[in-house]
Amino acid sequence: MPTSWRSSLRGPGGDDLTEERYARQVLHWGEENQQRIAAAAVLVAGVGGLGATVSQLLTRAGIGRLYLVDDGIVDWPDLNRQLLYDEGDLGRGKLRLAGERLRAINSTTEITLIDGRIDEHFVMPAGLNAVADCLDNYPGRFLLDELTPEGIYLVHGGLEGDHGQVMTLQSGRSQPMAAIFAGICQPEGHIPVTPDNVVIIAGLMVNELFAAIYGQPKLLNRCLVVSLADFHMAFLDV
Amino acid sequence: MVELQFFGLLRMLLKRERIELQPVEKETVAQLLARAQQQLPYPFLPRLLDDAGGMHAGAIILVNRQNVHHLDGLHTPVRDADVVAIFPPGAGG
Repeated sequence: MPTSWRSSLRGPGGDDLTEERYARQVLHWGEENQQRIAAAAVLVAGVGGLGATVSQLLTRAGIGRLYLVDDGIVDWPDLNRQLLYDEGDLGRGKLRLAGERLRAINSTTEITLIDGRIDEHFVMPAGLNAVADCLDNYPGRFLLDELTPEGIYLVHGGLEGDHGQVMTLQSGRSQPMAAIFAGICQPEGHIPVTPDNVVIIAGLMVNELFAAIYGQPKLLNRCLVVSLADFHMAFLDV
Repeated sequence: MVELQFFGLLRMLLKRERIELQPVEKETVAQLLARAQQQLPYPFLPRLLDDAGGMHAGAIILVNRQNVHHLDGLHTPVRDADVVAIFPPGAGG
């Protein structure tokens, strides 16, 4: 069990910087939930559009342990929405950059970098509370769901143009993602993705990840379908 | 009644989230969709089916939460009180 969220950082005068850091959010969700977040471990698969924001928000919130998985490098089309990277990062590996940026944001979060992709050789770390599916392809998503340990929540996010979805599955108890999305093929060519939609879907994913960490996911076996074109949201039972 | 739900772009195009249809004995998903098409102002079927009547790979159809891919495809029977949902998920991340 990680140490209390209160005890990690001290200022020059011995004041508790960690307590100050989380002061505004603890007003909302309370110390007990802050402690749950500090004790939690989340794997973020992909640190591209969704993953860069999901991992950043989890880190800012004080997540205890974060496992990041990616093997990509920063390219120009990433810069519109991948909030951890900038022009000076072009050509550099996303994983190491994400680790550097996140550690600078919150040194109390324990970050483990897993350089690679979700494939049949991937070994899921032990002790996870939740998995965040921030991938951009269905074969990887299906495999991630398959590899998620029994009973662990997987929070899926996906988007395209003005639309997006967030859905939570519990491995071994929910339908496999491959069954729900059976018949779907990866679209040919580039998928339209905008910075606003990415950040909104990522924000919803993080809200759901917190709920999963508390043991009360709101989207278990439900897909929240979001349309920015008319600010519409709907639930699809799966 | 059979409830037909539309999500994502289909909901936008049709300007409605769901319609209800009287159940018809021995009706399939394909027949239900064709019947729904007659009641709706926008020709949504070409966005869902190809010229040969097969499903495009960009959307899923669920009957009572089960993907028809694992049932009998577009020949899956639809009965009274069934919920049929059409959803084109976003693929990007």
